[in-house]
Amino acid sequence: MEPRGEVFILGLILSIIVLLISVMISVWARRFTRTLGDYYVAGRSIGAFNNGLAMVSLALSLTTFIGLTALIIEGLYVAVAVYASFTAAFIGLMVLAAPFLRRHKSFTTMAFIAERYDSSTLRYISVIVMFVVSVLYLGGNLKGIGIVFFFLLGVPEVVGIVVGGLVVTLYVTLGGMYGVTYNQTFQSVVLIFCLMFPVAIVLRVIGASGWYFPPLGYGALVPEMTQAVPHYFWAMVVHPVTYIAIFIGSFFGIIGLPHFVMRFFTVRDAKEARWSTVLCVFLVGLVNTTVYATGFAAVYYMQTQGVDIPSAAYDYVVFILVEAMAGEGWLALAVAGSVAAGLSTVAGLLMIMGAGLIHDLYGEIKKDVDDDKKLKLSYGAMLVVGVLVIIFSLNPPEFIPEAIMWSFGIAAAGLGVPIVMGIWWKRTNKYGAGVGMVVGFLLSFYCWLLIGYLGMDPVEIPFPFFAKYFYGPLGWIKTFSVIGPLTFIITIVVSWLTPPPPEHVQRQVEEMHGWVDVDPKRYNGKGLPITIIVLSVVIMWFMTTLYDQFPK
Amino acid sequence: MDKETRRSYKIEVWVTAICFAIVAIFGGFFSSVVVILNERFFDRVPTPEALVAAYGETMFVFKEHLTVWGFPLHYFLLIIFSWIGATIIGAIWCIVMDRLEAKQRA
Repeated sequence: MEPRGEVFILGLILSIIVLLISVMISVWARRFTRTLGDYYVAGRSIGAFNNGLAMVSLALSLTTFIGLTALIIEGLYVAVAVYASFTAAFIGLMVLAAPFLRRHKSFTTMAFIAERYDSSTLRYISVIVMFVVSVLYLGGNLKGIGIVFFFLLGVPEVVGIVVGGLVVTLYVTLGGMYGVTYNQTFQSVVLIFCLMFPVAIVLRVIGASGWYFPPLGYGALVPEMTQAVPHYFWAMVVHPVTYIAIFIGSFFGIIGLPHFVMRFFTVRDAKEARWSTVLCVFLVGLVNTTVYATGFAAVYYMQTQGVDIPSAAYDYVVFILVEAMAGEGWLALAVAGSVAAGLSTVAGLLMIMGAGLIHDLYGEIKKDVDDDKKLKLSYGAMLVVGVLVIIFSLNPPEFIPEAIMWSFGIAAAGLGVPIVMGIWWKRTNKYGAGVGMVVGFLLSFYCWLLIGYLGMDPVEIPFPFFAKYFYGPLGWIKTFSVIGPLTFIITIVVSWLTPPPPEHVQRQVEEMHGWVDVDPKRYNGKGLPITIIVLSVVIMWFMTTLYDQFPK
Repeated sequence: MDKETRRSYKIEVWVTAICFAIVAIFGGFFSSVVVILNERFFDRVPTPEALVAAYGETMFVFKEHLTVWGFPLHYFLLIIFSWIGATIIGAIWCIVMDRLEAKQRA
């Protein structure tokens, strides 16, 4: 897509309105912040509706507008499988972690791990993992806002990055978690509205009879699509373990991503944590299925109208379609929606990085510092993190959904496994969790470094025994199906071979599940760890099968 | 652990395990099953010449009689399972846990 030669006034006005409202919400929300708990977890006062909407905007980053449609055009089945996994993963997060984390009363994932395993060392390790996954996740979200400004609004990219970055830094710093939550709620409404309505118009123009409900509104056009592109719905044949790897990355990655988990520390109680997730899944699914409709409309439009959209512009296909079929007014809305999507994700990441820096790192080093001083330091830390992020975003890695998928994989091994095991198996101790975290994190980081950063062919990386099975399209994703299971096995085996955690640590598991009494047998059986080990071995073995049946 | 507490504990663990297994199937394993059972969902046809380099001599087209609301069955199930299906499973789990929590408080 060619950059706009002139400033798109209407789009710019709507985007500025979104930015201004974001700052105003934070200024308004500032009055609620009195204590450190208010600043980091909104006084644990957020209701299910607000939290559900806030989670939606956190989940729907700029990849929803830029990136997903490109994935769909290039390989519908894999794209839909990735997002199906990502959507369902929220239920995994809920049944395995959300309400239990809320009952634990920590401020952050890192604090949870430190307290559950009674270990300062694990706090430091989890802070490092958190920074790596957050930077990878962030890698490009702010840059994405710059791209939106440059390509769609005709404003230099650097202006977009600096303005977007300053606005988000300002509202996170000023409003703390209250500001972030109310902003994310607002941004969710904006992005759902700004995506669904323009896409409905696009579907109406291409002749979809169910245009008023984009997620399922284009079924009648399928026969024509099949005539034009016979393989459009083909389940792209990559080894089936790829989808299991996507499942492992999504389900345990989302539990490991600290900015998602932090939302559960803000709600009133475990019940609100549960129902907010259900609302979130419904809305995330609604938006994702709308994006599938956009991908369908793009391919249909190109094939039936003979329009050629160059592959380099697939990322912007939402905007190209909306401009071509719905007009500039709707395009302005879609652009404003994408700005909102970018802001909300960056805000969540800034919040967790600031919290990690002050609450977990500084608070652990200087244990005698009181909360008032930490609160004052938090404002400064958030500002510094925000400015550093802006500087980083001026020359970040490319904006690619792969970076976000890598961050899921690293978070799954580095943080997801110790969280799940810490909640569901009392016997998990600091040794098992620690060794599992370090091995899982280092292995997944190593794979990202060689494949994701240095661009090596996955089958050529030094990875004993398994490397040759990382073949084919999306072969790198299969690394998750080795590292995730391996992390589980190491955590369980090392915990078994070392002394059990002390009684006061085991008691936390009972409390997380809502029990007031203590029973040594609860969450302490052998069934769960044995089942996990067996499943882990089966998944790793499965990857080595069917070698000759799939393209290399 | 008295009988009632033991029952609540078992319900919590088993309902969670079943719900997790179902959403895991929706969110990951079903995609694999479609690939493994390729022939059930797709017909193998000769690949158009322009696509041979990418897909080989033959390729797959979904079976025309396997559609729901116009969508190929596998695609429909994939999006509905992971969206509406996951939402319903989540809601069921919430209702069960709400009840257990009320019992625990009592």
